[in-house]
Amino acid sequence: MNASSVTTASGTAKAPGTELPVVTQPGVPFIEIETLRAKEFLPAAKEALSAMIAERGREDLTQPVFNWAGRNSLFPLHWGLACCAIEFAAAFGARWDAERFGIVPRSSPRQCDLMIVNGTVTWKVAHKLIALYEQMPEPKWVIAMGNCATGGGPFRTAYSVVPGVDKLVPVDLYIAGCPPRPEAMLDGILKLEELIRERKE
Amino acid sequence: MEAEFPALVSARLGDRVAAVEVFPGTLGRVRFRAEAALDVFRSMRDDFAFDHLSMVGGIDWVDHREVFYVLWSDARRAYVILSTDLPAENPHIESATPTWPGANWHERETWEMVDIHFDHHPDLRHLLMPDGYVFHPLLRSFKLHEPEELEVKTRNV
Repeated sequence: MNASSVTTASGTAKAPGTELPVVTQPGVPFIEIETLRAKEFLPAAKEALSAMIAERGREDLTQPVFNWAGRNSLFPLHWGLACCAIEFAAAFGARWDAERFGIVPRSSPRQCDLMIVNGTVTWKVAHKLIALYEQMPEPKWVIAMGNCATGGGPFRTAYSVVPGVDKLVPVDLYIAGCPPRPEAMLDGILKLEELIRERKE
Repeated sequence: MEAEFPALVSARLGDRVAAVEVFPGTLGRVRFRAEAALDVFRSMRDDFAFDHLSMVGGIDWVDHREVFYVLWSDARRAYVILSTDLPAENPHIESATPTWPGANWHERETWEMVDIHFDHHPDLRHLLMPDGYVFHPLLRSFKLHEPEELEVKTRNV
């Protein structure tokens, strides 16, 4: 048997240097540290936080947190109006893989914070589009993808086409193209994330 | 069959049919009188075995309107076209929906686009346009609107 090894009561051998470190200060019981924390540190921290809120406002402190969380998990509504939806679908395929940016299409507007209007908006679907937009919880953003959603595109003077989805809902970002490539759509979403970063209520 | 079809139609329907014209790819283009529409539809379905209504459409010829029906017969393996003229003011014709249920949406679209009213249609309302849309866009008198003007007129209905 090796002379430097330690034999415990149960008889199993332990290599030297693998003993657990001491977690409490010698002489100070753990309960006293907790009491100190509750009596002195927590009130002080609370006071400092209150002072910061009074100085800068609550929104100013919390908004960056919400913006950070929101822009890194944009959930677009999973729907398609016309051929731009094909590019939208391709962007979530294996080649462009939009989910690496935290963009996950959701099938319910109640789980979404981003509406990508991908296609020609007709007057027939206008009511449904507004209903879907109103079902989305705040905060929410709208991207007009492609020329049709931006301004009616080649169908601008047609009897059935809304000349731009900004006539129906507020649009935050326009993507040009007929249709835009998936990388253009991803670029648009990343630019929208920059807008969200600077957002203030 | 192709050769004797006009004579058969004339013998069966008499003066309800004005003429049977030659139309390529079909047995003929039956020009019938609009007042006798229901008789013609029933006869075509029951006597001539045209059991499938392929489409209904309308044309605005400015001084009058035309409405036409494309029929297909599984037994004959042949098409036939029914066609009639309607006046430009208040054009209306008996609905083909009780005869061929498939006419339902076709007639809704025809009414919406060229403003031909189908009497006794079970559900004559807009198909491609929102409810309350004021225009009949495939009429010759319909002009392309500026988007803003169209928007105001469409939204205020």
